[in-house]
Amino acid sequence: MAKYTMVDKDTCIACGACGATAPELFGYDDEGLAEALLDNNQGTEAVEEDLEEDLLDAEEGCPTESIKVSDEPFPSTVEA
Amino acid sequence: MEDAQSQTYDITIIGGGPVGLFTAFYAGMRQLSVKIIESLPHLGGQLSALYPEKYIYDIAGFPKVKAQDLVDQLLEQANYFNPAVSLGEQVETLVKQEDDIIKMTTNEGAHYTRTVILTAGNGAFSPRKLKLDDAEKYEGTNLHYFVDDLSKFKDKNVLLFGGGDSAVDWALMLEPIADKVTIAHRRDKFRAHEHSVEQLFNSSINIKTPYTPERLIGDEDGIQQAVIQHSKNESEKLTLDVDDVIVNFGFLSSLGPMKEWGLDIRKNSIVVNSKMETNIPGVYAAGDICTYDGKVKLIATGFGEAPTAVNNAKSYIDPKAKVQPLHSTSIFA
Repeated sequence: MAKYTMVDKDTCIACGACGATAPELFGYDDEGLAEALLDNNQGTEAVEEDLEEDLLDAEEGCPTESIKVSDEPFPSTVEA
Repeated sequence: MEDAQSQTYDITIIGGGPVGLFTAFYAGMRQLSVKIIESLPHLGGQLSALYPEKYIYDIAGFPKVKAQDLVDQLLEQANYFNPAVSLGEQVETLVKQEDDIIKMTTNEGAHYTRTVILTAGNGAFSPRKLKLDDAEKYEGTNLHYFVDDLSKFKDKNVLLFGGGDSAVDWALMLEPIADKVTIAHRRDKFRAHEHSVEQLFNSSINIKTPYTPERLIGDEDGIQQAVIQHSKNESEKLTLDVDDVIVNFGFLSSLGPMKEWGLDIRKNSIVVNSKMETNIPGVYAAGDICTYDGKVKLIATGFGEAPTAVNNAKSYIDPKAKVQPLHSTSIFA
């Protein structure tokens, strides 16, 4: 099943754990807060299957549970 | 480690991360008595708990330094003045008494202090718990989230959950002591040092991957059996006899009870003025936990805020003391 991910920036503490665990999936914005690289942190594009295990590791390693993972795309917050 | 809960310290530092450790050194240098209270069983904060092996490049004077090496250096520096250290304690309440002494209570007891410096980063760390029904009831018996005393596991049949550095290191440390060690991890790949993983596969440790915890079976004396389930095939289950279960799923951090102390908190940070004073007189904050106009959350800035907080706390305790200290070059000469 496809996986979708995004980072809740309200709770992210910019610790850098996710980017260290899954550098292909997570980067950082100007404030150092994490974001999903794939779709500009929208959670609308499916994560490559090869990276799903890394995604779960990053989700588990996040100390504030800010990495959101879903089997469905997240509702888009950007106007099409 | 000094045990003097009833003694009143000049400064109590809540949070033993990098900024807390430098605060301890600096307060010692200003001849203040110091106690550090840390929620984890070890000092070092995020650096030790989350990324001990990562390099940091923006510490003044260090072109690059491994996070744990920086912690070790800070410990050496702080230990110049032998601060009292209380590990594994989370401060639950903080109240100013009529005599202006601040009383704090933790899960272990009461602490007394003239001033407090909060250097708690993003709040207290706690281990990520096993998300199984009734897991909590075994915490007092044979379900462990930390390994503090290896001898407890002598000749025991130990099951470990987790796939990171700590889980693998603990498994390797327990192998010669325990009767049998099993490590179960959700995926086939371990996220630990290549060398440790190689040692793991060459050891007598029983490796169960990809398996996740499904159920614990036991009674009031503790867990007797653990049922683990194949990550990709839910019908494939194994029941393992155990004497002890150790879980290492990393850490969670939160401000927790600190929110109830009457501090001015904005966006999970504590508001301070240019003296690093909070809205409660005698309570200061430094490092990532504090905020003010223009605040930047870096270890480097926390290292600057620490002396500001200490020097102002010193003059709060002793109004005749100068805020501006002597230079360390002349103090140690």
